[in-house]
Amino acid sequence: MSKVLAVYQKELGQYFRSPIAYFAVAVFLIGTGYFFTYNIFLTGIATMTETFQSMAILLLLVLPAVSMRLFAAEHESGTMELLQTLPLQPWQLVLGKFLGAVTILLLMTAGSMIDLVPLYLFGHPETSTILAGFIGFFLLGMACLAIGQFFSSLTENQIVAALVTVSVLLAFWFVGHLESFQTSYVLRSLFAYLSFSAHFAQFVLGLIRSEAVMFFAVVIAMALTLNASYLEWRR
Amino acid sequence: MIALESVSKKYGARTVVQDLSFTVEKGEIVGFLGPNGAGKTTTIRMIAGYITATSGRVTVGGNDMASAQQKAARLIGYLPERPPLYDNLDVRSYLRFVARIKEVPRSSVDIEMERVARACRLEDVFRKEIFKLSKGYRQRLGLAQALLGEPEVLLLDEPTIGLDPGQIQETRSVIQEFGKDRAVLISTHILPEVTLICQRVAIINHGRLLAIDTPEGLQRAAEESAIVALRVGGETRALRQALLAVDGVTAVDVEEADGDLIAQCRIDDRSGIEAAIARAVAPHFDLHRLERRQPTLESVFLHYINERETTEAAA
Repeated sequence: MSKVLAVYQKELGQYFRSPIAYFAVAVFLIGTGYFFTYNIFLTGIATMTETFQSMAILLLLVLPAVSMRLFAAEHESGTMELLQTLPLQPWQLVLGKFLGAVTILLLMTAGSMIDLVPLYLFGHPETSTILAGFIGFFLLGMACLAIGQFFSSLTENQIVAALVTVSVLLAFWFVGHLESFQTSYVLRSLFAYLSFSAHFAQFVLGLIRSEAVMFFAVVIAMALTLNASYLEWRR
Repeated sequence: MIALESVSKKYGARTVVQDLSFTVEKGEIVGFLGPNGAGKTTTIRMIAGYITATSGRVTVGGNDMASAQQKAARLIGYLPERPPLYDNLDVRSYLRFVARIKEVPRSSVDIEMERVARACRLEDVFRKEIFKLSKGYRQRLGLAQALLGEPEVLLLDEPTIGLDPGQIQETRSVIQEFGKDRAVLISTHILPEVTLICQRVAIINHGRLLAIDTPEGLQRAAEESAIVALRVGGETRALRQALLAVDGVTAVDVEEADGDLIAQCRIDDRSGIEAAIARAVAPHFDLHRLERRQPTLESVFLHYINERETTEAAA
């Protein structure tokens, strides 16, 4: 685990020495603050439900900017040659980088919790619902980062990595809408199951269902495994 | 320490390295020479474990790079052609990261970092961010990371590119010192560098090994085509006949220059041939100058490269 930690610390060092992490966190927090204020004044109800939906969409657009550099920058700068010739297993590299990006997500999540201050000051929100929403938000974010990290390993170009990731994430978010166009039961079930928004919606409603947790866990594990396997195969 | 057995690398239909076999022993510095696109970097990358061979076997310290790459990686220090640096880290953080991945014990990381920084003269920039470093410092930092953890095998792809003469001298000293009890393979274009620091030289072109020997051995082998040049006064035809009559002279080129004749005799490798030529020429011609042109490593290199190309063209 010490090598995973070394990669993790290097990633954090790089994130905080480049403007991308600050920019991504700032855009996300400003956006979240705007949606929170808008939703509270519009509905007059002390709830995070609407804000969570907006935060999720914002996440799909902002996180690719965090994940795009993870491997694409290594390819571009030639440091991948160092990483792949050091005594470092692909899974250690993949996990260390993933944890680095998850730390940025954690900062975003923690920063967005500032919205809870006025919510608790002036209203009586349901703590368990909010907690479930944040858990869902964090799981969704981790799945987005794992997918983004995988696509980042496929290209040297960070912009290409970000654009492909945004496209794939939006496809996963909206795939549930295709359900109503299908006559086949199998396809309807498949589209419904693959929908990020459908699984996330359960958390927003305050439900932490094992099926939804497992769904995101499987997506994360699959993306990270693909990532490590690709690095091994590339050699 | 390093052994390549019939190693080939193909990218689709294109063969970049073909049937390459050689070894580098402990305590030996081997220079890897070849023109651009000869397959030097691909070969070094295969030894470093960055890419795998299409066929054949690469072993480092007895570990097969195809099945025990991680074990072999612990023995290797590698400086790629382009130093693999993280611009937004500082020198210290970068070296610390590499040291930790190379499993340098936590208690000796600082000592090890100081050792390589001193060897590569990086003390002045130890806390500087890498993007602020000059090309020379970047190259030296790349070498420093390769030296971290005292690897048994050092692979250097163009290690002195971008360095000024003083730095080149220092880097050579570092490599020579390091190579005393380790195996070092250096790819370079700088021929004097090979003569100065390498015990053996491997010449590669179009992915094939053309020759591997000591620099002196390669020069001796190329002496078959050594040349004795002379400047004389006299008549062209008579001079040519006189020279061709000397035992050991295989071919003669004569041309006029400023009223004199410049003759180039291609000779075989027997000794004392210059004296025989002088004896044959001096009584009948005004002999102004006679010299044997020793093949330099550069001419040896070109000899092997051109010989191969001529053979291939004929085939």
